[in-house]
Amino acid sequence: MKLFLRDQWAFAAFFLVQLFLLILIFAMDGYWNESLVIYVMFLSVFFAGAFLVVRYLTHRLIYQRLSKPVETLEELTQTYGNAALCRALDEKSLEQYRLYKEQLHAYENKQRDYTTFIQQWVHQMKTPISVIHLLLQNEDDPKSESVREEIDRIKRGLETVLYIARLDRFEQDFLIEPVAIRTLTQNVLAENKRLFIRNQVYPELKIEENWRVESDDKWLSFVLNQLLTNAVRYSAGKSNKVTIRAYERGQHVILEVQDYGIGIPAEDIRRVFKPYFTGENGRKYPESTGMGLYLVKEICGRLHHGVEMDSEVGEGTTVRLVLSAVVPTLQERKDDES
Amino acid sequence: MSTIMIVEDDPKINQLLQEQLEKYGFQTVNVEHFDRVMDVFIDRRPDLVLLDVNLPKFDGFYWCRQMRQESNCPILFISARESKMDQVMALENGADDYITKPFDYDVVLAKIRSQLRRAYGQYAPQEGERTVEVAGLKLFLERMELSMNDTKIELSKKEALLLEALMNQYPRVVSRERLLEKLWDEQFVDENTLNVYITRVRGKLKDIGLEGAVETVRGSGYRLRATWEDGQ
Repeated sequence: MKLFLRDQWAFAAFFLVQLFLLILIFAMDGYWNESLVIYVMFLSVFFAGAFLVVRYLTHRLIYQRLSKPVETLEELTQTYGNAALCRALDEKSLEQYRLYKEQLHAYENKQRDYTTFIQQWVHQMKTPISVIHLLLQNEDDPKSESVREEIDRIKRGLETVLYIARLDRFEQDFLIEPVAIRTLTQNVLAENKRLFIRNQVYPELKIEENWRVESDDKWLSFVLNQLLTNAVRYSAGKSNKVTIRAYERGQHVILEVQDYGIGIPAEDIRRVFKPYFTGENGRKYPESTGMGLYLVKEICGRLHHGVEMDSEVGEGTTVRLVLSAVVPTLQERKDDES
Repeated sequence: MSTIMIVEDDPKINQLLQEQLEKYGFQTVNVEHFDRVMDVFIDRRPDLVLLDVNLPKFDGFYWCRQMRQESNCPILFISARESKMDQVMALENGADDYITKPFDYDVVLAKIRSQLRRAYGQYAPQEGERTVEVAGLKLFLERMELSMNDTKIELSKKEALLLEALMNQYPRVVSRERLLEKLWDEQFVDENTLNVYITRVRGKLKDIGLEGAVETVRGSGYRLRATWEDGQ
């Protein structure tokens, strides 16, 4: 309504000026009949008003929609009404909508092809890695050990790429089921054993044997992998322990990775979950990509796990995953007690 | 002797697997033309098949279904794809197990053995047991036994792993890092625990009359020395 008035005030002003001008010309010519002037004015204003009302009623959808913020692209397909201007607008916006959709589809396809390509490429790269892995398996000399470490780094890098690519299709690629967190943690630790040993850091595992949480073991492993890699990297040379513990908090199970390393400066903490953010520590440690914690946050968000972080420079960092526990069945409770 | 068919299009992995399996007394069959997988399968009647998923022409799932129409022999998939979907697909197409690349020889051997045992019973011929020998000292890796001349002694799993590393590398030094890595399976091992295991291994060796055989090399690691030979 507001927009309509703003749009039409020029017409109204023009109309009134013209009306007064006409009456003025007649008056100057010597023709003056007061009641007729009032009658003419009333009649003209009435018809002009009627015109504006009809105009508003037939075109109100245009004005209403123009003054509302756009929420979806589909708004372009809604019709404006039957007036000529409305029909023209309908046609135009439908055309626009089709064009956008087409372009969107093209990009979506491109994106999908790209993701597929990345996934395929990562899988292809695993073959040469397997060959090197097998070739080195029976070698125990320091050089092979060093190559093995590098292979581990490549594997970790490829894994990250794969998971970033998968994130786009997360909905089709996860399965929530009871996950035994102790076993899962042990597996992730074993995968990273060379990283731990080389940095002379040792894990301390404080997780009850049969605790289970609702999660996807693949994605949760990846998250834990990122957290442990960080913990070890920022502990190296300062502390030789990383603690992984699980405890209950209300209905949740908290899985906590605590290191006693260099910690994160307070001004960086808020931003560590942003993509490509490396902060002060990233500048000191060349291997930071700034993607690790971003992925952790993204994945946890999709799995409906909470992520919390505390850190103090020089004291260490604690990252907590807030998971929901699997409620043990009565039988299992009995087994636990016995 | 069990026959194992390897269907893998990467020639190097193929060859490495073949060598490793032959070392442990398996007979291996290779596929050269990937449109004639079934011909080889029917012709050679393998006891077990190692099957890659990504193959030229048809994928592993297709061949798995074809093989299932002919035989119930164990089929193990080896693939770089580690997603749940792929594993489920493999099992639904009739596979018995799934190994992801990159893999360890130990894992492949263990899975092959367990599948053979399951399919052909306990009486299946024991495939050549892995042994390591250094100057008369013999380590049996499956039984976890150590023998010297006529004396035998049982070892724990970690002791056996430790000795295996030392004997494989004989007479060179094995670094502490490497030993830690070898011992770390589901339970991690730290420096102190490694010291404990070294002491235990020394004790076991002493029990069969070998003293001073595990030598500490300061700053790098440990080395096996055939002290018993020097004495003779």
